[in-house]
Amino acid sequence: MKMEEMSLSGLDNSKLEAIAQEIYADLVEDSCLGFCFEVHRAVKCGYFFLDDTDPDSMKDFEIVDQPGLDIFGQVFNQWKSKECVCPNCSRSIAASRFAPHLEKCLGMGRNSSRIANRRIANSNNMNKSESDQEDNDDINDNDWSYGSEKKAKKRKSDKQCGVISEHTKKMCTRSLRCPQHTDEQRRTVRIYFLGPSAVLPEVESSLDNDSFDMTDSQALISRLQWDGSSDLSPSDSGSSKTSENQGWGLGTNSSESRKTKKKKSHLSLVGTASGLGSNKKKKPKPPAPPTPSIYDDIN
Amino acid sequence: MNKDAQMRAAINQKLIETGERERLKELLRAKLIECGWKDQLKAHCKEVIKEKGLEHVTVDDLVAEITPKGRETGFAMLPRLVLSSRTQAILLPQPSRLLG
Repeated sequence: MKMEEMSLSGLDNSKLEAIAQEIYADLVEDSCLGFCFEVHRAVKCGYFFLDDTDPDSMKDFEIVDQPGLDIFGQVFNQWKSKECVCPNCSRSIAASRFAPHLEKCLGMGRNSSRIANRRIANSNNMNKSESDQEDNDDINDNDWSYGSEKKAKKRKSDKQCGVISEHTKKMCTRSLRCPQHTDEQRRTVRIYFLGPSAVLPEVESSLDNDSFDMTDSQALISRLQWDGSSDLSPSDSGSSKTSENQGWGLGTNSSESRKTKKKKSHLSLVGTASGLGSNKKKKPKPPAPPTPSIYDDIN
Repeated sequence: MNKDAQMRAAINQKLIETGERERLKELLRAKLIECGWKDQLKAHCKEVIKEKGLEHVTVDDLVAEITPKGRETGFAMLPRLVLSSRTQAILLPQPSRLLG
């Protein structure tokens, strides 16, 4: 085509650049024109000068560059030395401590209401424990009257671990199965607070054999189920198997109580074993009290 | 010369056809704003308007005043503008692709 001929012959770099420049110039002119239209519209609509401010207010907000001041002209740490007068108690308070003081003074902040509520609750509890001495457990009573610290009042000894930590001197607030402390420690603490007759809050006494795996317990359970019927079969088998039950029961006890908390039937087995066995260590798992008695009859 | 004019016209036409011209224009606008060309021009506009009075400014006035200045400063910016590789490929060697 003619054009192609033209292109092949006439073009070299400089010419191309010239053409490019012209194209560029056209584009720039287009942009200028567009810009003019924008400005004109802004002028006519009245918003052209909107982003300007008058020189007076410009001076007000100028950047400050003096030593000792920040760029807004404020002095650093200006509020440390200032003191305000509290309108409630008419005391002179440092400015940086003023807000928390006011909160406590007026009694309207989140913290102050919390403290007030706690005080009310404590005073209520004190009144209560004094009035119904008969109804409360002896343990609870001893707890209150033993002069434990303000914080320890809230903690009931039969729901929490309670072992006193060495470095903080506080009672451990975790549950009775807290892994950081052993039952011996818990017992010691309770004996210390409640006298030598104190018992750990669990009624059931089971072995501390936590080292039993599930697999071991499975084997034991299968051996226990002589008749192949339900879980109650070990007890059904009668007195001849009592001693064996004792032995196996003690073994399965802990693992059962650990893993199968929800199965009442297992609990009954556990209950039986606990009734029969002589166990000294306590485990934090209360059994169902009625069920052991049933099997006691059978055995 | 006529050939050049024709050449230019042909190139322009090609650009428009492919939509490349629009793209280039947008690109240029963005670059000019970045460079601060627009702010310069705006300052100039303000002066012109203050001279002429806010009420009596017309488009023609503005165009007549501003376009030359804009073009000059725009060209001054040219070395700073980097043409994208695609643009270069279009405008520089391999004309046959453009015109063929």
